[in-house]
Amino acid sequence: MAKKEKKKKEKDISTKRVASNTLFALNIVWESAPLYVIMYFFSTVWWGIMGFLSETYALRLVVNTAQTAQGIDSVIRFVVILGIVNILGNAGLNYFWQVPSWRETRKFTSHAEGMLFRKAAKVELACYENPKFYDKYVKAMNEIHNRIMRTFEATDGMLDKIISLTANSLLLFVIDPWLLVFAMLPMVFGIFKRKEVKALYDQEDAKKPVVRRVEYVRRTFYLGEYAKEMRVGSMWRLLLRDLVTCYEQIRDIIKKHGGRRALFGYIQQVGLEVFTILGATLYAVWRTMVTKDMLVGDCLVVLGSIGSISRSINNVIQNLADFREQAHFINDVRYFLDYEPAIADGDREMPAEPDTIEVRDLSFRYEGAEQDALKHINMSLHKGERIALVGANGSGKTTLVKMLLRLYDPSDGSVSLDGTDVRDLPVADYRGAFSSVFQDFKILSATVRQNVTLSTEKAEDEAIITALKEAGIYDKIAGFEKGIDTVLTREFDDKGENLSVGEAQKVSLARVFYRNTPFVILDEPSSALDPIAEYTMFENMMRATEGRGVIFISHRLSSAVLADRVLLMENGEITESGTHAELMEKNGTYAAMFRRQAENYLGSEVSGNE
Amino acid sequence: MSKKVRKRPRQSFSTVVSNNWFALKKVAHYTPGLFVLMFVEILLIELLAAAGAYFNYFLLNEVSAADGSFVRAAIIIGVMSVTMLALYGLDKWFWFVFNGVMSEKLHLKMHEELFRKAQQLDLACFDDPEFYNDFVWAMDESRTRALQVVQDTATFIGKLAGCTSLFGLMLSIDPLIAVVLLVSSVVSIVCESMANRLHYNREKEIRPLWRVNGYINRVFHLGDYAKEIRISDAEEMVMEQYADNNVKIIDCQFKYGRKYYLLYGLGFGMMELLTFYGTLLYMIFKLKAGVLEIGGFAAAIQVIWNIRWHLLGLVRRIINFPNHSLYIEKWREFLHFEPTVTGENTDLPPFESLELRNVSFSYEFSAHPKYRFREDPSSNECREALRNVNLTIRAGDKVAIVGYNGAGKTTLIKLMMRLYDPTEGVILYNGVDIREYDPAAYRKQIGTVFQDYRLFATSIAHNVMNGAYDGNAHRDTVLSALDKSDFTAKLETLPEGVDTHLTREFREDGTNLSGGEAQKVAIARVFAADHPIVIMDEPSSALDPMAEYQLNQSILHHTQDKTVVFISHRLSTTRIADTIYMFDRGQLVEQGSHEALLAQDGKYAEMFRLQSEKYEGSGADGDCG
Repeated sequence: MAKKEKKKKEKDISTKRVASNTLFALNIVWESAPLYVIMYFFSTVWWGIMGFLSETYALRLVVNTAQTAQGIDSVIRFVVILGIVNILGNAGLNYFWQVPSWRETRKFTSHAEGMLFRKAAKVELACYENPKFYDKYVKAMNEIHNRIMRTFEATDGMLDKIISLTANSLLLFVIDPWLLVFAMLPMVFGIFKRKEVKALYDQEDAKKPVVRRVEYVRRTFYLGEYAKEMRVGSMWRLLLRDLVTCYEQIRDIIKKHGGRRALFGYIQQVGLEVFTILGATLYAVWRTMVTKDMLVGDCLVVLGSIGSISRSINNVIQNLADFREQAHFINDVRYFLDYEPAIADGDREMPAEPDTIEVRDLSFRYEGAEQDALKHINMSLHKGERIALVGANGSGKTTLVKMLLRLYDPSDGSVSLDGTDVRDLPVADYRGAFSSVFQDFKILSATVRQNVTLSTEKAEDEAIITALKEAGIYDKIAGFEKGIDTVLTREFDDKGENLSVGEAQKVSLARVFYRNTPFVILDEPSSALDPIAEYTMFENMMRATEGRGVIFISHRLSSAVLADRVLLMENGEITESGTHAELMEKNGTYAAMFRRQAENYLGSEVSGNE
Repeated sequence: MSKKVRKRPRQSFSTVVSNNWFALKKVAHYTPGLFVLMFVEILLIELLAAAGAYFNYFLLNEVSAADGSFVRAAIIIGVMSVTMLALYGLDKWFWFVFNGVMSEKLHLKMHEELFRKAQQLDLACFDDPEFYNDFVWAMDESRTRALQVVQDTATFIGKLAGCTSLFGLMLSIDPLIAVVLLVSSVVSIVCESMANRLHYNREKEIRPLWRVNGYINRVFHLGDYAKEIRISDAEEMVMEQYADNNVKIIDCQFKYGRKYYLLYGLGFGMMELLTFYGTLLYMIFKLKAGVLEIGGFAAAIQVIWNIRWHLLGLVRRIINFPNHSLYIEKWREFLHFEPTVTGENTDLPPFESLELRNVSFSYEFSAHPKYRFREDPSSNECREALRNVNLTIRAGDKVAIVGYNGAGKTTLIKLMMRLYDPTEGVILYNGVDIREYDPAAYRKQIGTVFQDYRLFATSIAHNVMNGAYDGNAHRDTVLSALDKSDFTAKLETLPEGVDTHLTREFREDGTNLSGGEAQKVAIARVFAADHPIVIMDEPSSALDPMAEYQLNQSILHHTQDKTVVFISHRLSTTRIADTIYMFDRGQLVEQGSHEALLAQDGKYAEMFRLQSEKYEGSGADGDCG
């Protein structure tokens, strides 16, 4: 119930906000593609006036002139000139709309999308975990082009209708002021148009969650990733049953709202076409035939103009509803663009030679979570030191790494670099001190070169090749026709190469080798690799990161042996810390975990001794 | 890759007719009521529109005639009013209520048919990257297209009737203009169809570019990339790609825009205006010459405009049919697609043995020739995923399949499950070729946890029972299965227990499981169903060491009487097997027990040593042993 009220509240944004959002959208276009705006409105005015002159005014002129038998030659001249002007104008305007307008459209779309992209790259990572924020953001990204266009079209439609309304009303007024009464009627019936539009929105709103479920079922049948599971069980029957239920719900929704739509729509259309148009026609015919104080040409105009007027008013109502709909959406865009990232730049300078990162009494809780993900963490990382971070799933290893990278700010406590709280440092500079491979590393659709450097600057081939060699993937890359300039993935290029997961991970590791940053973070770097590859990788990594501060997370404790220090995390706390030997000596949780894993390799002698 | 940007396929007239006819038949079959009423409704509305022209014509003639009578004019208006009152009622009810409800019914029926078909498709179809684009997209379109075909057919007939009668009227007013209008309508058909072709080609050429923009969009909006973007300059790099791609889009749009302009903006547009002003001037001259009365003039102008309007509509409809046909073609192809992985016999004897005899498999030749896999992205150098494999698994065996990445392990499993058929050789179930059995019945013998398993957005119980959960009858089965897969601890924290809905996509009270927890639910599936054979593809990959250890123990314990196939590149998991099969680049290179293989000192021994040496001498045995 409360939810419903909230939804309602969300729906009704103030008219002022609607206007301001509309201006905002128009301004995006005006800023980036002023020519588009000018041409758009100019075309509307041009076509509006030409249409009126050719179809209404000229006709009246002809008929009235013929009836009074005066100056038909000047009428012919008028039509000829009008025709020539219109044809020439049209040829020009059409050229704009069929050729250069595409560039203008791209201009404002890329401007708008670019703003969103840039913003997305700045907001803190936590935003990605907030579904509400995320939804708005994805919607903004996907629809911004269409929404701006539709705002534009609605504005333009208004302009167009206002021109036509003014011209036609003036004409009617000149012919007989009483006819304006008929022109007013559509406004009265407009109420029903609004009701009809609203009923449609209600219907679509009610359908949304059901349609989402239908889409989901569709995906499970069509996407390859589900195909295996769908073939081995009877899940597909359940999903088909779901589908039937969903469609029953959709039908009920349509039955419920469709009746209302039909009723309101009927009243409105009858009001418009029967009462208004035919009413005015009857009146005009009466004036022409019975009281004989209206010219036939004028009667003809009435027939056309009343129709134009009522349709214009009808459209204006639709446009107003459109503005409101677009304004809702633009509200989301603005919310997103106005969002101030919580992780902001500090104003202290980065130390030239960063040396030590220190975490002091740090606690952190994810938004909406009931428990701290990290509790009172104390640790430090020096240049030249290798720390292994181990622990069960969900013990907080990855979260801790994210804190070190300042992807989040701590709820309590601090992270400092050489004594300066990292919140006082410029974000990009601070993060620049790290290179990392994440568990869910990504390969970008770009050349191998770009995937290694992750930047636009030109890089030495040598450095990239060395990094790839160290990551153990150069042989594979060298085998491609274009070597390090080969495009990865087929997103951009049909000749692009797809790498296996293991190979992709090696490329992302090459990033670490390439960038000689003071600190390195490796989150389960070998999880997708087979044992031999894992082994060589580890050796290379240890050699290449000599002298840098390294933190690595791994489930395979065999690698922890190589670390200068092992930190064991349990439930968001560091419970054991020391060298591998010290922790084995201590015979605590770490030692137990290590033996469990080793036992499988070394046979029963280990467990036998436990 | 010039094949990619193929021109719009030429369709013969009979193909177009037959495809559209197919759609009409489908709609008539699934929703006959909708089919009939839609024809009636559209014909009536089209005739009303044509009647509007007659109305204006008669009315104006009446008004301007010397002996015109107001009563007759009023009657004309009255008749028109009553007709409108009635027809609009039908119109609104039909579109907003009847069509709304019935078209959803039609969508459901079409969905169901397509889904049932998709369910039978060979897995190989899903491996083809073009499959999704080519089929799914077209099929999705066909859902709305089917009804549009009905609508367009009815409108076409209605407009044709309207046009014909208006032409009759026009001929009686002025035959010359009737001819001019007819010619101009032929020209517009040609123009429209050429423009349509241009449009189609442009879309074809520009689609890959839109895909790139879609990718860039994803880079910024998916959480997956968020971290990389924040810790590198990738943002600039991607923005540069975005700018480059936009230039390409504009180039493509310009190229077609110019052609389009010449054809449409200049050619067609000018012809339209010339016809308009030409007929107007011609009529004025007739008026001036006194051949025409004012009333006749005004009425004729009205009819001319009406005919132009109708003709344009008619032309647009004609153009639609070849378009519809393209999509419907795919739809028909899909519905007539015959799966190759089939078999008759649904009655399988109890499992005794599974034998692979000289089995080779390559992805390239597996699928339907039309949609075969062109290139296996993961193993460019080794096209043949399996080469001449021979092995036998007997009831009760515990078997491990090991090897490096890309050795063919997962492919082997897919063949054993008959998700594909081998390119060469046979697989025998108790000595009988598995191709003789019905695939669904055969697969019931095997419970599998795939490496890339998927959970569905429904209750945990349904996920465990693979959709066959039947409330209380299965409750205990589900609970015990979850217990065996070590999920009980997590289950206890869920207020709704096994009825908890997975994912928050559709239910606010749903639960998102972590990778490890999800994997346990997937594993519970094999415990819940009583399969004689259990296949575990990297069962513990998402688990931490403790959980991995417990799970392995548990799996072993609960599958004592079953045949189990483990797949892993972690040899710690697989050493417990009776027989270990070592694969290398698609070939079975070694087989035997753990001890035997170590003694053999081959590839397996090397692999095992590499993995274990880091544990040796680092305290595990040093301290205690």
